[in-house]
Amino acid sequence: MSAFPTETAAAQGLATCHTCAKVAPASLHHCPRCGASIHLRMTDSLARTLALVLTACILYVPANVLPIMTTTQLGTDEPSTILGGVVYLWHHGSYPVAAVIFIASVMVPLGKMVAIFYLCWTVGREHRTRAQQRTVMYRVTEFVGRWSMVDVFVVAILVALIQLGGLLSIHPGAAALAFSGVVIITMLSAESFDPRLIWDLERDEDE
Amino acid sequence: MLRGVASDLPMTACLECDLLLPMPSVAEGERAACPRCKHLLISHPKDGFSRIQAFAISALVFLAFSFAFPFMTMKASGLENAMTLGQSVLELYENGQQALAFLVSCFIMLVPAVILVAVLAVSVPLARERGAPWLVPAARLVFTLSPWSMVEVFVIGVIVSLVKLMAMADIILGISFWSYAAFSVCLTASLSSFDKSWIWESIDRVSAR
Repeated sequence: MSAFPTETAAAQGLATCHTCAKVAPASLHHCPRCGASIHLRMTDSLARTLALVLTACILYVPANVLPIMTTTQLGTDEPSTILGGVVYLWHHGSYPVAAVIFIASVMVPLGKMVAIFYLCWTVGREHRTRAQQRTVMYRVTEFVGRWSMVDVFVVAILVALIQLGGLLSIHPGAAALAFSGVVIITMLSAESFDPRLIWDLERDEDE
Repeated sequence: MLRGVASDLPMTACLECDLLLPMPSVAEGERAACPRCKHLLISHPKDGFSRIQAFAISALVFLAFSFAFPFMTMKASGLENAMTLGQSVLELYENGQQALAFLVSCFIMLVPAVILVAVLAVSVPLARERGAPWLVPAARLVFTLSPWSMVEVFVIGVIVSLVKLMAMADIILGISFWSYAAFSVCLTASLSSFDKSWIWESIDRVSAR
């Protein structure tokens, strides 16, 4: 007896290679075309995804509390955090940039972590939300992942460009690395989530 | 229709919802999507290999150019400072952020450059319908690395920094920036034709000979 819905490859004992999309019997363990390891479903998908997203949540704290960069102007150091930078830009009338940084650095990472938790939670609980909608949610989560790096790249550019010695210079802060960690780990987390789990449970509900 | 498993019909399964289907046969310029979750199954781009190679070579040339000239220059109260693409990474390194410097250099230069070389290593023999011992590892490399290329994100980062600094200084975008932006466009154009199912089917075809 197979636990998989009848129309799926898994129900026939067939696994799809994630590297080359070849369908082959799962009993081979390795893809006959490209040699990558194959499984009916990604191994421990939910546990890995949750472990990674929790790590990202923990790293998100230093990423926001510590300064992302320090501006040294005429001998005085002025550290600024991610949110501090957004507030500063907003007060100085740079609304579009403030919005871009707020979306890329605050809303996207938070939204991603919430979306991943939600996807894992619904898979575990046979929630009745439509599978198609959750698949779209997964695709969006995977797509926006890289865009959060914008703020880190801005820091890299400012540090290289604003170097006027004692008059004005910018130095990177510890939050820049922590924030890159958040971006990388949430990307890995989205990658380890197996979207096919969404559809597996959808079928079980219908029956 | 799904009983085709036992027959000789080549089968495929959707990578996002695992629906088992007979492999759709697509002609040049056509694409096929999963009927259930709408995930793209295969796309056979028009003049695929010529397009992939032309854009990949252009992208590599633009990347090489973007190292050679000033990337951005700022002018404020009589002082001037120009930065190059390499400095965006070097300054991080010299400010004690070695790990960050490594990550940034991977995301904006190394990973995309390796992807482009691997794309050429795959598409040049395939365009001539020839096999090569490195086809499989090179194709695997492209699909494994492609989520980690952040070239277009860096371009947006440059624009954000530009707007951020406009109030306090004059910022001039250098030749390197424009070259890097062109590199970003060519990289995306090359990879958008490099369809996973189509490339692997082509590799199968030449290996079967």
